[in-house]
Amino acid sequence: MAGVAGGNDFQWCFSQVKGAIDEDVAEADIISTVEFNYSGELLATGDKGGRVVIFQHEQESKNRPHLRGEYNVYSTFQSHEPEFDYLKSLEIEEKINKIRWLPQQNAAHFLLSTNDKTIKLWKISERDKRAEGYNLKDEDGRLRDPFRITSLRVPVLMPMDLMVEASPRRIFANAHTYHINSISVNSDHETYLSADDLRINLWHLEITDRSFNIVDIKPANMEELTEVITAAECHPLQCNVFVYSSSKGTIRLCDMRAAALCDRHSKFFEEPEDPSSRSFFSEIISSISDVKFSHSGRYMMTRDYLSVKVWDLNMENRPVETYQVHEYLRSKLCSLYENDCIFDKFECCWNGSDSAIMTGSYNNFFRMFDRNTRRDITLEASRESSKPRATLKPRKVSTGGKRKKDEISVDSLDFNKKILHTAWHPKDNVIAVAATNNLYIFQDKIN
Amino acid sequence: MLGRGVKRKWSCLEELEADTLRAAEKEQNVEDEAGFLAAPSESDLSRLQQRQLVLGLCMEKLRGYQAGMELSLRRSVLLINTLRQIQEDMQSDGASEALLLHGVHRESCPLGDEFGEDVPVTCLRCAEDDVDDLSPSPPLSPEFSSQEADGSSDQQKSLPAAAAINTFSDAVNAMGYLGDLALDMDIFEDIDTSMYETSDLPSSWAAGSLWPVSVSLWADEDVKTRSPGHGGAGSLQSCRMDLNELDHIMEILVKT
Repeated sequence: MAGVAGGNDFQWCFSQVKGAIDEDVAEADIISTVEFNYSGELLATGDKGGRVVIFQHEQESKNRPHLRGEYNVYSTFQSHEPEFDYLKSLEIEEKINKIRWLPQQNAAHFLLSTNDKTIKLWKISERDKRAEGYNLKDEDGRLRDPFRITSLRVPVLMPMDLMVEASPRRIFANAHTYHINSISVNSDHETYLSADDLRINLWHLEITDRSFNIVDIKPANMEELTEVITAAECHPLQCNVFVYSSSKGTIRLCDMRAAALCDRHSKFFEEPEDPSSRSFFSEIISSISDVKFSHSGRYMMTRDYLSVKVWDLNMENRPVETYQVHEYLRSKLCSLYENDCIFDKFECCWNGSDSAIMTGSYNNFFRMFDRNTRRDITLEASRESSKPRATLKPRKVSTGGKRKKDEISVDSLDFNKKILHTAWHPKDNVIAVAATNNLYIFQDKIN
Repeated sequence: MLGRGVKRKWSCLEELEADTLRAAEKEQNVEDEAGFLAAPSESDLSRLQQRQLVLGLCMEKLRGYQAGMELSLRRSVLLINTLRQIQEDMQSDGASEALLLHGVHRESCPLGDEFGEDVPVTCLRCAEDDVDDLSPSPPLSPEFSSQEADGSSDQQKSLPAAAAINTFSDAVNAMGYLGDLALDMDIFEDIDTSMYETSDLPSSWAAGSLWPVSVSLWADEDVKTRSPGHGGAGSLQSCRMDLNELDHIMEILVKT
């Protein structure tokens, strides 16, 4: 699989856009998470209204091979409802913070979805047959008068229109005092972890009434609190290993074989701060917003406010690669602090072969970095270029000096249009990019 | 320049950044923003300006929470840490600090002006509102006795520093909401500062406590235990004390 494109090998082109075109966006429609399943056949989004929408890959046919990057709505359901915490007198938002698919084991699909407090396991299954000819009830489901049943018959399965059902199978509640920021299914396919600001819990997928607290960084005195957990993930191959990132820009790797409570980490990844770039915002911008293992399990990637870093799990003192996402914002930090953008949590993702990474930026821009060629590209998710098969033009932000043609100046970037969530198809060059209430799907076009 | 009581606009900030950038360029031709931290004189002023700005915004953010919604712990911790960093920065700057800051206040830059005068005044006002409006709070432990300024020359010097310190106490106040105390909302209404002209400052200052927010959180006892006689010289120490207070209150409020 090739990297980020932009060269001779291939280019990215528009495939689809989902969601309303309206200018005024309903808060509930804002997409808050995007996730492909393991095969890439299904793509799930969660939104601030607590809904989960699942798209299914359009079957390819020989005469329409370009449908590779086309997805259609498969199932929509309300995963979480707004709640009220009566003890604390606080609203619990229905916003879906994360969705994680379980590896497929049978015809049905399973996913975990979470809001700030409660994790739910959903089963998504198809039904295209219906049993007819019951003895005790008629076709409408009403009980038949027993005296009128004079003979017995064998019910038969009759074909019917395909129906996709989503049903909640497990609800994992009341285990998190703070806001859940991450869930991650373990490679043993039986357990998963959930992380909030101060604690990480380990669950068994079948058991809802208890979980094991594996990390607790809550100090005995909250006055000593200077750091929170911002993201956590299980290792893709070793079920005893997981990592979590912190608001101080560090990552801790823990081994569950070492102790039941992993308060003491096995590895500690931290890059020394460059004193020349120190400012009042140093800590805020070094806070890690996302951490993702590579598919191979050899590397992990972290996203902070201005950059994305790739770490070799065998080297703790500095990342092996650092990519600037929007370095031109460094001189704008004061404004970004004022308008709260500096607290935005950008996520990041790997492509299927770990050769390229993708993350979002402002102005509906998103960035891709090719790890081998060190090439990078800025693309834009916009309706203007959303003609079928239209090639995405690389965008450029002018960084000081004269603004060249086709360049956009830093001052004219729209900070309300931000791409926080992106997903890369696990096997193909198909990407899903969430831009506010729209989901863009792009695919490669081989030259 | 913006009039009093007028909300700052985004563009205003941009101007400040442009201003500081220009100032720095004039000073040393090529210098990036990070350079402000090390450079002296004019750029030092911009750094102080920025610090004051960041401080003010910190307070604004910690105060501007949404009723009934749980604050993001990550955001609060990052803001409080930034406050702590600014505090350390102020401590390392030492005594010349107050004068320098005072200088910034008199600068003609729109934001410098706004923050030089607005922030402390706002805090004072907050505090006064607090005393009136707050529902009964837990009693104050004796170590948190507040202080009053005496002597007008001291006031002049300690005014800016006190402003910053007031904002620290404000942070205490704000962090209180992590612990979901049901406090009166009035104090968070847009505050009209127009009644506090610069000339009125010393009198309003002398009339009230230099530690208004401590008063606000612990209204009942503090009024009684407030002891006069501590001058502006103790401001740094008080600053430290204030942070202890913050921690203490956090401990009480956030403990689960």
